[in-house]
Amino acid sequence: MRRETQNILLILLGGALLKIAITGDYLRYVKPSQQPWVIGGGAVMVALGVVAMVRDLLAARAGAAAAPVEGGGPACDEHHHPARSAWLLMVPVLAVFLVAPPALGSDSVTRTQARAPQSSAARDAVAFPPLSEDQVVPLAVSDFVARAGWDETGTLDGRTVSLSGFIVQDSGSTLLARMVIGCCAADAFPVTVSLASGGGVGPAELAELEQDSWIEVTGQVVPGTATRQNRYRPDFTVASLRQIPTPKRPYEF
Amino acid sequence: VETVSDIEAHVGEPVRRRRGRITSVELLCVVLVVAILGQPWLQSVLDVPALRTGATVFVAVCVQALPFLVLGVLISGGIAAFVPARVLCRVIPRRDGPAVGVAGLAGVALPGCECASVPVARRLIGQGVAPAAALTFLLAAPAVNPVVMVATAVAFPGEPGVVLARFLGSLGTAMVMGWLWARWGKLEWIAERALRRLPEVSGGNRWRTFAETARADLVDAGGFLVLGALIAAAMGVLVPSEWFGVLGEQIVLGVLVMAALAVVLALCSEADAFVAASLSAVPMLPKLVFLVVGPAIDVKLFALQAGTFGRSFALRFAPVTFVVAIGCAVLAGWLVLGGVR
Repeated sequence: MRRETQNILLILLGGALLKIAITGDYLRYVKPSQQPWVIGGGAVMVALGVVAMVRDLLAARAGAAAAPVEGGGPACDEHHHPARSAWLLMVPVLAVFLVAPPALGSDSVTRTQARAPQSSAARDAVAFPPLSEDQVVPLAVSDFVARAGWDETGTLDGRTVSLSGFIVQDSGSTLLARMVIGCCAADAFPVTVSLASGGGVGPAELAELEQDSWIEVTGQVVPGTATRQNRYRPDFTVASLRQIPTPKRPYEF
Repeated sequence: VETVSDIEAHVGEPVRRRRGRITSVELLCVVLVVAILGQPWLQSVLDVPALRTGATVFVAVCVQALPFLVLGVLISGGIAAFVPARVLCRVIPRRDGPAVGVAGLAGVALPGCECASVPVARRLIGQGVAPAAALTFLLAAPAVNPVVMVATAVAFPGEPGVVLARFLGSLGTAMVMGWLWARWGKLEWIAERALRRLPEVSGGNRWRTFAETARADLVDAGGFLVLGALIAAAMGVLVPSEWFGVLGEQIVLGVLVMAALAVVLALCSEADAFVAASLSAVPMLPKLVFLVVGPAIDVKLFALQAGTFGRSFALRFAPVTFVVAIGCAVLAGWLVLGGVR
């Protein structure tokens, strides 16, 4: 592969990283704290490509095309072998610019169910603090599931909370799910809540919800429903439900 | 623009290069145009749930790992340009035994994912550091740095033993591999290009060498990182999730399955502790094996090693690392955690 092609690929790939970091699409793939890394990595890649290109052009103009790397040994030293593997750099470029894969959804929930948390190991170091006194308490789905499963002081019982997540229609039951990531989407695992009709929301309405559509629900936990047998998936009586657009931050952490 | 590398790349061809020949630049343009025209088709093909998930995981691994690879190539370029070989030789002990020890502890100082350490180790070898020491650094850096240790402590609250066991297991793996290499390793397994020493540079040429080395390393390793990410994404979709569920009682099977999962899932070493912690059905020892094997060898690292050091190196080094890592993890778990649990 020619040097120019390598430089173009580096600029394209660095540009792809910069693009998703700036538009916020990177949140579909990694956690927010990675943003400076993604920007830095992309910027350095673009810079390396541009610097090499400019230097080659200048050298060519100076009529020194035959020896543009005098003193800069590595360029001529390292490319005796054809760098065919570098073509693979095209794949993430095309994936980011043309396909732009969406955030993980219902498919991952059914696929990685066995990786759902089966202990509150990461959470019970901090005991569950009481919920705020508001009428409706917004909670992260992972927090809700942890409290439903392991909180022995019953901070959830009788309280109305609001949760947001996407819909998974799984063998007859309607689940509200959220993916939790530690570093990037490769290590994601799902937390799920089983929605039960109540209040103004009937079972038919729940069953008609579209797979992967995002909703916000308010309602209450059915105490004692998150057990070891059902992988700590609590039941949730839905009082109200509304469709929401896919949030900027699709994952919990 | 014609450069030395291009001319040299074609020297071996019987037919001299002619004007109007299709070069990789034109090929790149054609690929881009075809891909842009075929975008709707591409998107409809990928609109299968499993492929969509795989594509997301693939991009996620790339986005997560590429910045660390960039960090690695910058360090590699810095070593090539600013650290003369004779300084390295003075800092690192001459004899293999102590050199391996120094290299293992030096791994504590590079807080990054495993992708960063491959180009650095390759540059160290290129600058005349004993391969045994450089390979120890390669294995130690991603596993025992403070970031990984803190992440492990957070994932396993109230269990400092896990952090200590992970540290000992990983450091042990790195050092045992270093000593094994010093005893039995052969230089000819490593591809010749990885061994080539850069000429000493001085003054104004330093920055040029820095940028050129970093660029070349990035192009070399980047493609293999992408290959590793593709394999990891495919495995993430293909490995049945039941594998995680059935490991409760079978301790030997558990250890082997968790070790295999660590290889095929290719998780970042800063995140694998959270995945391990969430698997409460699995006893502690297999979890520890997962944490020690993952940063030492996985599909992404194997691809990077094969690309950087050559296939005949990777085919020998990776399986031995796998076995040694399992052994060290089991030993560390037995010593620190006192058995299986």
